[in-house]
Amino acid sequence: MSQPTPLVQPLLQQFQQLFFLSKLVGVLPQDLESFRTKNVLEKSSRGMWYLLGTIVAYVALYNFLIISFGEEDRTLKASQSTLTFVIGIFLTYIGLIMMATDQITALRNQSKLGELYERIQVVDERLYRENCVVDNSRLHVRIRLMIVLTFLFEISVLMATYIKLVDLTEWIAFFWCISAIPTFINSLDKIWFAVSLFALKSRFEAINATLDELVATHAKFKAWQSGAETESELILDSNSPPQYDSNLEYLYKELRGMDIGSAKNKVSPIAHSMNSFGESIKTPQKLRKTMVNMAHESELANPAKVEEKLNNLCQVHDEICEIGKALNELWSYPILTLMAYGFLIFTAQLYFLYCATQAQAIPSLFRSAKDPFITLFVLCYTSGKCIYLIYLSWKTSLASKRTGISLHKCGVVADDNLLYEVVNHLSLKLLNHSVDFSACGFFTLDMETLYGVSGGITSYLIILIQFNLAAQQAKDAIQAFNSFNETASLIGAEMENGTFSFTSTTLSPTN
Amino acid sequence: MIQIMNWFSMAIGLIPLNRQTAKSTNAIDYAMMVIVPCFYLACYTTINFLNLYGLPYLSTCNSVCNLSNKLFMHLGAFLYVTITLCSLYRRKFFFLEFNERLQEIDAIILKCRRVAELDKVRVTVVKHSVAYHFTWLLVFGVFSFALYYDTKEMFGIFGQFSFVSLMVTSFPFLAGSVIQGEFIYHVSVISERFSQINTLFEKINQEARHKQAPLTVFDIESNGEKQDTREATNANGDTKLADEMKRQVAKKDKQKDKAESETSSDEDDEDFDYDDATMAEDTGNTSESNLPDLFKLHDKILSLSVVTNGEFGPQCVPYMAACFVISIFGIFLETKVNFIVSGKDRLLDYITYMYCVWTGVTMLVAYIVLRLCCNANNHSKQSAMIVHEIMQKKPAFMLSNDLFYNKMKSFTLQFLHWEGFFHFNGMGLFALDYTFIFSTVSAATSYLIVLLQFDMSTILRNEGLMS
Repeated sequence: MSQPTPLVQPLLQQFQQLFFLSKLVGVLPQDLESFRTKNVLEKSSRGMWYLLGTIVAYVALYNFLIISFGEEDRTLKASQSTLTFVIGIFLTYIGLIMMATDQITALRNQSKLGELYERIQVVDERLYRENCVVDNSRLHVRIRLMIVLTFLFEISVLMATYIKLVDLTEWIAFFWCISAIPTFINSLDKIWFAVSLFALKSRFEAINATLDELVATHAKFKAWQSGAETESELILDSNSPPQYDSNLEYLYKELRGMDIGSAKNKVSPIAHSMNSFGESIKTPQKLRKTMVNMAHESELANPAKVEEKLNNLCQVHDEICEIGKALNELWSYPILTLMAYGFLIFTAQLYFLYCATQAQAIPSLFRSAKDPFITLFVLCYTSGKCIYLIYLSWKTSLASKRTGISLHKCGVVADDNLLYEVVNHLSLKLLNHSVDFSACGFFTLDMETLYGVSGGITSYLIILIQFNLAAQQAKDAIQAFNSFNETASLIGAEMENGTFSFTSTTLSPTN
Repeated sequence: MIQIMNWFSMAIGLIPLNRQTAKSTNAIDYAMMVIVPCFYLACYTTINFLNLYGLPYLSTCNSVCNLSNKLFMHLGAFLYVTITLCSLYRRKFFFLEFNERLQEIDAIILKCRRVAELDKVRVTVVKHSVAYHFTWLLVFGVFSFALYYDTKEMFGIFGQFSFVSLMVTSFPFLAGSVIQGEFIYHVSVISERFSQINTLFEKINQEARHKQAPLTVFDIESNGEKQDTREATNANGDTKLADEMKRQVAKKDKQKDKAESETSSDEDDEDFDYDDATMAEDTGNTSESNLPDLFKLHDKILSLSVVTNGEFGPQCVPYMAACFVISIFGIFLETKVNFIVSGKDRLLDYITYMYCVWTGVTMLVAYIVLRLCCNANNHSKQSAMIVHEIMQKKPAFMLSNDLFYNKMKSFTLQFLHWEGFFHFNGMGLFALDYTFIFSTVSAATSYLIVLLQFDMSTILRNEGLMS
């Protein structure tokens, strides 16, 4: 600990467990030692080789799984409609593609990821200086919850599949657990993204809260001021003779000024000492509360001072927006593949569920679709991942847009010309600088996309089922025709040729 | 009418009793909200697990009838359960908060009206237009027809146990519609407040128009004098600040005794015409002094609509989804089944007509929701337009003072931020305005094209309905 103690707790301190876990399974290549000692993400060549090794191993294992379980699919090709078979082939590899994208992107982003968290740290320090504290301490609870949920889903799907659908007598059944690797690695990677995004969101919210608090304090201050004035007038009216009016008013004003001054004197040294020593996170919050409670003084009453504060907050807001863009850019390909994966798997799983209820054969890798409850679990898991990311992006974007509104509230409540100018200027800046999350620019990550995607899934599902029905009907008709043909030919062999030609002409239009 | 709807929704346990009083016994308030869902669940289990009193268990019920009835029932269950959960989660807090904020808003509006001298004009809120009554009558008629039709048919089939079946078929859609009615009521309240603000803005706008003519003349005549004062104000910005404070204090005084305020405002109006340029600073008694209050008000109403939307938006989503599904299946059944085999099976006819009736009801309610949300959006947008108009006219109070200019600019900028931040929406999935109609209609068309290709003739033939 030779470094100067940082003003704020670094964000990455909350990521300890997640980092060790993701290092172990090969999601992140960064250096383990430097993370443990200094809480920073540093590039490491050993980690890179380890990660590459895990990629190769996973790909090899997964291919082995596909080949060994693909034996069952030989019969499928012959018996089933080509539609089911082709969909199966396409979707077999998408999990693998998703996993490889995640890991390769992690390799590519090795150094950038560390920079990102350093920038967040700088932002935290600046926010701290503005007396606006972000509480990081609950993040690790969130991370742990997400990891537990991931494990729960993976293991329950796996166990249910083992119990119900895999033939345990064969030695190859052991390898079925490989099928869970791609989704598990993907989930870990997405936890990093989700928690970082959540951290950004809480920073936006902290800025908003600070601005709202400024407004509330000023409103109180105004109320107190007007209340004091009316009170003083009341006192003057009732108690004192009118000729001393001016004197008393002067005295009262002096007293009040002293009051304000004393309050300031009480508060400000504490504030200074706090800032210079930079104690733990908890203390400034207490300080803020006491300020709100005891002294009805408002920062907004002093436009020159508050201008600086608003300026700083807006700069921090810009910086967070930039970090958000950087974060989005780092994870753009993984998010895109995840969304594609979610869309395709959701549709395919439901389609195969339909096929299974119609007692048709389905590809062996999608055997979980044979049971409705396992399907439900798989769908919850996949859609939960996608929807949570979309929801979080949407909320973050909204929180960043809210800042402008809160800023204007400051202006309106203070009702001061100089402040209005500052606010208008900053507001234009904020208006141009909003953060929107997108997947590689193909579509924005907000709830409207979700609405569109759900519509897409439904319509594709209906079309797929229609084709399946049509294919099934055609197959039945052919089979009926064939069996009829056979019997007819048998009969025809016994009798003369006339009946056979008659049946064939009558049957052909029905096909 | 709104009272009737509120009582009704209390009776069927969608909103708590005594919702606007903070202190009352929880047991009585939430009794209906617990009893009715339990009753519903009991009926649902009777039909689905005990296999009693359900339409599917009748001997005359064929496969088409069975399938469509099950779809209707489960869709209703989905709708009712989500809506009830949302209502239970919301409990009383929302109504209390809404009321509190509304009172705050109303107090400020009243104050502003007083300043703007609009309270002398008789308020014509009570008088509603023909369209309003017509809408109420239409909604009432449609609902009573739907309920009457369902009850009559069900009573004919099950006799006294028809309530079990009615609980699972019609009731969820009724409950959903009533909740949407609550949403409509709250949005209409918000919309009304917006239009009140707009009249206040409009008043300022008109005053600007009236006062412009003499003032331009005055402007040209006393040009030099005015420049002097401007220099004076520039020289010491503190005096301006002080003036501003004085103005606010004056305003507060005026609040205290309204009787005086009217006379003083009259006096100030006279001052305005004859006094020299400094009066632009302290014409606090004409209605443009309302502006900061109005801006605050607009902001408050918008945050109130955010809260309302946050409460009712999630309930909108299942309702719209249910409406969409039953209208598609209603059209499908009508065209593919009822056109071909109507009149042969009474039960099948009843099911298809039930789909059509509830399609009509839910679509009507959904349309009113969309219309009112659109209205509220437009009203809030109009305020910004009026403020821009005032700014363009450059009325008297803006001439020697940047403050009002900056104020209005700040308001319009804030409105831009609001526009990016908030529309009435269903959990962000879709915006509640007319674009939603377009998107659903286009989606419904594509589904219908796929569905109408579905060949029903073999199924109908198997059921013996078609030769």
